Amino acid sequence: MTGTTPEHEEIRHHFEDQLDAIRRGAVHLGSLVLENTKRAGDALVHNRLDQVAEIVRADDAVNELYEELETLSFEVLARQQPVARDLRFLVAITRILYEIERSGDLAVNCAKALQRMEGVTLPPEVTGALERLVHASASLFAGGVDALADMDETAGARLDREDDLVDELCGAFYTRIGAQSEILGLPVAIDLSRVGRYLERIADHAVNIAENITYVVTGDWPHEIDVALEPRNE
Amino acid sequence: MTEHTDTDIDSSPPTAVHGATPNGEELADDVAKVLETRDMDVFYGDFRAVADVSIGFRFNEISALIGPSGCGKSTVLRSLNRMNDLIPSARVTGEVHYHGANIYAEGVDPVEVRRRIGMVFQKPNPFPKSIFDNVAWGVKINGFKGSKAELADHVEATLRQAALWDEVKDKLSDSGLSLSGGQQQRLCIARAIATQPDVVLMDEPCSALDPIATLRIEELMLELKKDYSIVIVTHNMQQAARVSDRTAFFNVQLDEKGQRTGRMIEFTPTDVLFTNPEQQETEDYITGRFG
Repeated sequence: MTGTTPEHEEIRHHFEDQLDAIRRGAVHLGSLVLENTKRAGDALVHNRLDQVAEIVRADDAVNELYEELETLSFEVLARQQPVARDLRFLVAITRILYEIERSGDLAVNCAKALQRMEGVTLPPEVTGALERLVHASASLFAGGVDALADMDETAGARLDREDDLVDELCGAFYTRIGAQSEILGLPVAIDLSRVGRYLERIADHAVNIAENITYVVTGDWPHEIDVALEPRNE
Repeated sequence: MTEHTDTDIDSSPPTAVHGATPNGEELADDVAKVLETRDMDVFYGDFRAVADVSIGFRFNEISALIGPSGCGKSTVLRSLNRMNDLIPSARVTGEVHYHGANIYAEGVDPVEVRRRIGMVFQKPNPFPKSIFDNVAWGVKINGFKGSKAELADHVEATLRQAALWDEVKDKLSDSGLSLSGGQQQRLCIARAIATQPDVVLMDEPCSALDPIATLRIEELMLELKKDYSIVIVTHNMQQAARVSDRTAFFNVQLDEKGQRTGRMIEFTPTDVLFTNPEQQETEDYITGRFG
């Protein structure tokens, strides 16, 4: 009806290909971080010091891909001057990339905490609480990556509710650390608390990813609070 | 400036002139409109070019009309100051209210309508006269009664308002055609506002200009909206996004007889239209996914 030409079609297809490449790249980035988060959690729970170097090294690939995707997003923003859903997607994806990259750093922080606690054997109650937290946090992060892969606008509100469980498990973990603090000693108790905080933050990033997807698809945030405006205490 | 007794157009707010409107339910909100179409159709002979346009333009806002070629946006614009009267086969049905009065009502003088609702065209079209006379002309034919000095003052004030004074003050007797394209277009804007309208219609005013001249016109528009209400037709969506307060999207639709007719799809605040439009049709057009 409005006189499209083959050239126009081609340019539009190129644009859509670029958007799809960015989205698929972000899903890949998310899966790399998910893998490293699981590996770090597993290393903590099973005291696998031998895994630390590999976890730290794996983050290089995350950072490299992050920079590549961010550059591509900016380039598409500049050259295509997107509007409406395309604009929401590109703005949201730059935030999502950041959320994923930060989560990757937090997985590395977990591994480094393990290194600092070298040789310490944790009481089973502490390990049990840690294992539950690791599992819940990784599961929420997987949900965030799925939301991105499926562009699932319903995930934002759902993951926000599921995050309450992670907060509860984190609180329970802190309680265990407190109860065993004399056996653990102060430096280990502090490191474990930090690990709890890292895992809790990874889950928060997952919620933010899913909420950004809700925004891309619907144009509205899942709840009226703009998550970008919530304070970030990392 | 001039006394007109041959018209019933009044420049006081609409409520003071017209109480209830025949189609009061058409008013989507209570904010006063400087110009408002109600169920407007525009025909060229038997061909209905535009159908069912009800759109209200607010005071001191820039409203942009966008859409593909043939969607009727320029036709709508020309109907807002009876410029379509100049095309023999053109016919407008429905109503166009200016300060609450229908400009298509019997007894309304179209020349007076065009004095109050000025127009700037796609191609800069200064008269082949001096820069001074380009601005003074409209004032003089509207029966300016002041002295030569007063006329000169008015021309200066108008050229200042059109952001052109500093560039032309030393060559007011040069031909308007000696100016650059961007300057010519600002001269045309000066000519349009010289008769002190309160609405200025602009039909793709920057499409013949380079980006720098375009930017100056856009800056001028933002300055002018303090005193005028502006309606602009543009093919440049970024321009609509940059300068307008509200944007109307028009599209071509097949009507019941299989004719291609322009219709208004949505009219919303510009920030909403370009980030989260209500209609899928709008989204498809502005994101380039049409056809």
